[in-house]
This record gives sequence, structure tokens and C-alpha cells, in this order.
Amino acid sequence: MTLVRLLLGALGRAALVVWVTATVVFFALRAGGRDPLEAVLGGPGSQAGPEAVAAARTEYGLDDPVVLQYLAQLRRVATFDLGTSFSRRVPVADLLRDAFPSTVVLAATSLVLAWALALVVALVAVGARGPLGRAVAAVLRGLEVVATVTPHFWLGAVLIAVVAAGLGWLPATSTPGQPAGLVLPSITLAVPLAGFLGQLMRDGLEEAGTAPFTTSARARGASPARVFARHTLRHASLPVLALSGWAVGSLLSGAVVVELLFGRPGLGRLLVDATLVGDVPVVIGAVVLVALLYVVVVTVTDLLERALDPRLRRPRARVASPADAPAEPVALS
Amino acid sequence: MRRHAPVITLSALALVLSACSGSSGGDGAGSASTDGSATTQAGGTLVYATGDAEPTCLDPHVGGNYPQALISTQYLEPLVGRDADGTITPWLATGWSVSEDGLTWDFTLAEGRTFTDGTPVDAAAVKANVEHLQDPDTGSSTGYLAVGKVTEVEVVDPTTARFHLSAPDSALLESLSQQWTAIQSPAGIERGQDANCAAPIGTGPFVVEAWIPQQQVDLVRNEDYVRPDGTAEPAALDGITWRFLPDAATRYAALESGQVHAIDNPQPDSIVASEGTDITHIDAPRPGSSNRIELNTAQAPFDDVAVREAFIRSANPEPGIETLFAGVTAPSYSPLASVEPTAYSEPSLFGYDLAEANALLDGAGWTGRDADGYRTRDGERLSVRFPVSTNQSVAAEQSLFEQIQANTAEAGFEVVLEPMDLSAWYTALGENAYEAVSAPYTKVGPDVLRILYHSDSTVPAPSGYFANHAQVKDPALDALLDAASASQDEAERADLYAQAQAIVLGGFYILPLYDQQNHFLTRGVEGVETLHTVSTPTFVDAALTQS
Repeated sequence: MTLVRLLLGALGRAALVVWVTATVVFFALRAGGRDPLEAVLGGPGSQAGPEAVAAARTEYGLDDPVVLQYLAQLRRVATFDLGTSFSRRVPVADLLRDAFPSTVVLAATSLVLAWALALVVALVAVGARGPLGRAVAAVLRGLEVVATVTPHFWLGAVLIAVVAAGLGWLPATSTPGQPAGLVLPSITLAVPLAGFLGQLMRDGLEEAGTAPFTTSARARGASPARVFARHTLRHASLPVLALSGWAVGSLLSGAVVVELLFGRPGLGRLLVDATLVGDVPVVIGAVVLVALLYVVVVTVTDLLERALDPRLRRPRARVASPADAPAEPVALS
Repeated sequence: MRRHAPVITLSALALVLSACSGSSGGDGAGSASTDGSATTQAGGTLVYATGDAEPTCLDPHVGGNYPQALISTQYLEPLVGRDADGTITPWLATGWSVSEDGLTWDFTLAEGRTFTDGTPVDAAAVKANVEHLQDPDTGSSTGYLAVGKVTEVEVVDPTTARFHLSAPDSALLESLSQQWTAIQSPAGIERGQDANCAAPIGTGPFVVEAWIPQQQVDLVRNEDYVRPDGTAEPAALDGITWRFLPDAATRYAALESGQVHAIDNPQPDSIVASEGTDITHIDAPRPGSSNRIELNTAQAPFDDVAVREAFIRSANPEPGIETLFAGVTAPSYSPLASVEPTAYSEPSLFGYDLAEANALLDGAGWTGRDADGYRTRDGERLSVRFPVSTNQSVAAEQSLFEQIQANTAEAGFEVVLEPMDLSAWYTALGENAYEAVSAPYTKVGPDVLRILYHSDSTVPAPSGYFANHAQVKDPALDALLDAASASQDEAERADLYAQAQAIVLGGFYILPLYDQQNHFLTRGVEGVETLHTVSTPTFVDAALTQS
């Protein structure tokens, strides 16, 4: 499909995703009889007086019927007016802007690390020769599976206990300005993802390594390195790239656990705090931002795929349908 | 490839090591011992890591919870304080007197004190503060309740503030000793809530410099600090970095590795692990009620006192407390915390006696048994809904509830534990969807008994919340609590509260467990004390030690 159609599709996707997430979050936060008023008055179980309660209800429009509140919220989201936090009384945009960079840096570092780990492990597994090589490859395949199912909270806690508290090599917690503090959280997020991407990469490398085009390239005298760089790697990267969009989504959700565990500020932590207190504008703002981020990443990966794979750039040949055929067979002579 | 080998090796190593190691223990490199023989250094910035929720507003007048009390102890001071014996001591107010009828209180303020912005600490400031607490726009909860009987504050002269009350309140001094009624600069309040929430202006040993949300609050030394006794002596520390670290294991690891100097809310196993190392343990139970299980007397089955007694006789919490809390706390047999001098305790009421429990239940008519072994009466099962707030109850406490569930099952009770988040928990309580609940209440002084066991406290606040979860409605108890609230005689007051507690315990309305846990671990710092009001740590005399 053409570039224009791709971008228009992305915009449409973005709008749909934003609408659905805003709706789901809005009603989910009111489920179970929760009252958004609690967040305004200092949290659940508030014993504020009747005048304070009445004033808060009017100020935040909580007296209106639910449908009106929902429509007002949609209008705010559509005009990019994220509103004011119920519990903190500051603009939601400010809170998101402060939390956003930390999470993005963490997610980006983890993605790069996961890619690097996956590539290294896949290369070793595919390139290993001989009985020792086969044994190493088997171990690595096993480790990949283990890595895929490793929970973030377990891995992070183990790293803190062993590396930070036990060995003292790296700090257990850190503030965004310290690069050393990014290492353990990135490893925690990267390892499960690396397991998954590594399996994909290895499968892709093996398949591309035995494909006819590789054989013919080698037959024409291309060195293994050239074959790898120009052919095999590009083919093997395609499924990994396609799944990187999903990977970013999983990294952002994993960031919730990792930010809480390592005491780092970020979107995940903001989301958890706001949900527990019932701060509706912040939760909607954060979830919509994450959803938009996800759509952006998926669009970028689509563009990268087009850049890597020439087959996607040409318009696909349309198979002639029976309707296109002439009504009578054309004489061949 | 080479650059990632260490990472892969480390991950593998971690997997192996975690399988064979227990807690990594505090065998760190610190050389400072806890008996004060280490040399202290002047200045330096103390790093404090809290596990409590980050406050949404640094002004404790707004809302009013414990995290706000913890941090505001460093920059705000109340009118009065309290010493270890429970006697009210002067602080910003040097003296006070009350009229015969108890409706007028005169507070004398120290001369010449100012807030850090230069505004004088005078009667007009006290008046502005009380009005701020009572203003609906502030949204105060705890502080608002504390000054609930104050109708007006009159400025008699710059150093005398006269409180006019609607009814006598023997707990006024205790209420004013809390952080949630601390005195701030009126000029600071007038900046508006947004500015005042970000950096309240007070008289404390430190000043709020910056607040980076989700990360830390930076406090710097107040160079013009004046102590309660009038001496002008600032704190030794240059400042405090107040960090927010939600995970308990991470907090302890940060303390062990020297990244932070003090933490709160350590798990019992961390406290035990720190024994014998250079980590100091401070045990400061919160004031007010003890941590107890309240039985809902408004509906079956606990509307019958025999069934309540049977539950308490079969619960046997002591072995669980001993094991799960690893000796960090002792069992309590009082409705009040052990730090309250007026606490009344009656251990003989709480002995484990399964035979007696069974006899009581048989006598109460719960003689049937269903297929699962639980007792029934007229086809209805002896079921106890027990909502548990995972925010408030630590893992050890939740395990203790599970043990009580198993113990009472032997007498035929079906305890249904329902873990839920704080908001859902308050909803369940507001809808009366519980038979048992554990809800600690922090307040200075025995007046908390009135809040928890007077029949007026079954009336919900506008938010739906009410504090009397046992739904006790006993006219004799009400009369005692009302009389105690009006009494101006300390001895009479203590006696009335003792009688009230005897009724609460004897009616088997509650099963006391232990004090409200409030532990702190410090390393590399000396001179950390806790207030005898709200049991928060104060760093006014703290100094970092060289390690």
C-alpha cells in the first residue's frame, strides 16, 4: 500500500484506540460503586465535612449524570485538554510531561538491550559448530525459554538482592540523572523480551541460512559475512521488527512493575498511584498517552519494514477477477 | 558479543545464587556501632526512604494522613507537644488555661518567634490556621475533626489566642499536639492551595526547598530555628532528601548498601536480619487504637455476645503473632496502643479455650453442621466476611488472619477472607458488607475511644465513612465517653476511660492483636528520636556518622 494510505491508516487507528481506551478507563474507574470524589478529598475513607464534599462535587461536575460526565471527558480528550488531577490539583499534562521521559528512556534502553541480547544469543546458537557448539546451542535454547517466562518482579528482586545489596556493584535505586541506575531496571525488562525475540531471530536466521538465495549467493562467491549482512540478517529481522511494536507495549506494562520495584519515577508509577486513589483524569491521560505511544511505535515499525523489505514497496499485482475477463473468449489466431 | 558476556553471566549467576541463598544479611562495610562510639560529622544531607504512599499535598491540613505527618514533622510544629509519660508539654504555645465551664481556652504564645518567611507566630496566625482547617475548600479530614468543637478563635492580644468551644473538649490539647493541626504561616496559606501544597511555610528545623513528584522532596536546614524551650539552635544536618521507595525489599537493600540513611515500614524479617549489624532499630508504635479485629454487632452472627466470645476464644492469635512477626511485637490485650498511658489491658479475657467456644456456640443455637464441617442454625451457615485491605495489612498480618481463619474453623466458623484495594475496602465497610474487619485508627490520646465506640460514630460522614465498625451502641458506654470528654480532671478522665475500655473488652466487641506497627531502621546516622505525639521521627538532633 502507498505511504499515504499507511499514514492515514495510522491516524485512524490512533483515533479509534484513544476513544476505546478513554471509554474503558472512564467506566472501569467507576465500577464497583467507586466514587471519584474520594480522590479529591484526600483519598478513600475521608472524613471531610459536608460543605467540603458539596464544594468538591460542584467544582468537578460530579453531580451531573454519568453520561454527561462521560461526554465531557470525551470532549476534553478530543481537544487535548487533559484536565486537572483530582488528588494533586495540578494539570494532568504537567504530571505526564514529568513522568514521560523517564519511562521512555527506560523502555528504549531495554528494547536496545533486548535486541542486542537476542542477536548475540541467536548468532551463537546458529553459528556454533561441533559437539561443544551443539551443546552450547542447546543450553542457549533452554535459557531462551526460561527467560521468556521469567517474571519481572522476581528477576528484579533477585538482581537487587545479589548485585545491589550483596555485591554492591550497582545502586538498588536511582534517580533519572544517574546512568548507573538504569542498568538493573533495563536488564530486568530486557531479559524476558530477549528470550522471545531471540527465539524468533534464531528461527529466522536458520531459515534464511538454508534458503535458495543464500546458496546461490555463496555459489557466486560472496563471503559469509557479506551474505549475512546483506541477506540473512534482513530476512531474519523482519518478524522481530514486526513484533517490536508489540514488544514496546509489553515493555511499557512491564515498566509499571520495574518502576515500583526500583523506585524510579515514570508513567507506570504514576498510573499505579492514580488508580489506587481513583484519580480519573490522570489515569485516563496516562492510558491514552501509552496507547498513542503504542500506535506511533507500530506505525514506525511498519515504515521500517517497508524500508527493509522491497516487496512491501511495490503495489501488489492484482489477480484478475472473472469480472475482468471479456465476455467472449478472444480468438487466439 | 563480548560486551554482553558479563550481563549474561551475571543473570545466570543470579539465578543460581538465588536458589541457595537466604537473606543477604547486613554484613556490610559500615564500621559505626550503635552505642554511639562512632565519630559524627557536621553537616551532610540525610537520605530518608519512605514506603508509605507519596502525599498528594505537603500541607497536612489538606486531607490528613500518616505520610503527611511523617514529612511535615520536619518543617511544621504544633501548638503543644507530649512527653513519654503522656503529659502535654509546651511547644509553640508556652502556656494555656481553661475556664470553669470548659468552653474557653486561652493559649499563650512565645514572644518573638517567626515563620521562615518572617511572618510572626502570633494569635492572628493561630486564628488563620484554625480557620484554614475548618474551611470546606481546604478539604481537611483529620485536622477538621480535631477542631470540631471550636467555634471561633479570638485574638485577645498578639500572644494570647482564645478558643471558644461549642462543648467542653478534654481532648483539645491532645488534638492540637498532632501534625495535622500544626501551625503554618498565614501568608503562606494565602498564596493559595497549589503553592501551599508544594511548599508549606512553618517554624520547623527544616524548610521545603523542592518537590520532584514520585521521586523526592528536598529539605534544607532552617538557620533561624528556635527550639521549644526557646534556645536558638539549628539542626546539625545541612538537609534531608526525602525519597519515595514503595518496595520493602528495595528499601532495605538501599539501606544496607548505604544509599539511604533511614527507612520506615521494614518487614519483620528485615528487622530480624538487621540485628547484630550496624543498623539501628527504632520501635515507635502509633498512638490511638491498637491493631484489633472488630466484630460487627449490627447483624448476625455477631449480634449475639456468646458467638462473639466463642470467636475470640477460638482465634488463638498469640502463636501466629510470635512466629509471623518474629518477636518484633508483643500481643496486645487493650483497645488502646501501649504508648497511651491510659491504656487498660485485660489478658484474662482472651485465653484460648476451644471447648468453651464450642459450648458457647452450642448454647447459642448453632448446633447444626453442614457438609464442610461449619456450624449452621436454621439452615444458615456460621459465616464471617472479613474484608482485608492489602494496602494497610502487610503480608505477615494477612498470614495471621489466615491462621485465625484456620483456628476458628475448628470451632465451626467459616471466615471468608476478601483481599481488596483500599477503595473497595472502604466501599465494603460503608455498605455493611462485613462481619469482621481490622481498621487501625491513629490519634493522640484516649479520645479515640469516643471516635471508635460511641454510638454517634455509627452515623456516616458525607463520604460514607464511619469509624465505629463494631457498631457498638451501649448507652452506659456512651455516658462514660461523654463524661470523659467533658471532664477537666485528669485523674477522673483516666478512670472514666478505664471503665469504658473494660466495657469494650468485656463485651467481646474486639479481638486486640498488637500495637499499630511503626518501625524505623537507620544506618550511618545518630540522634534520631521519635515524637511522643504521632510517633514520627524527628531529625532535629540527628548527625551523620563517619563510616
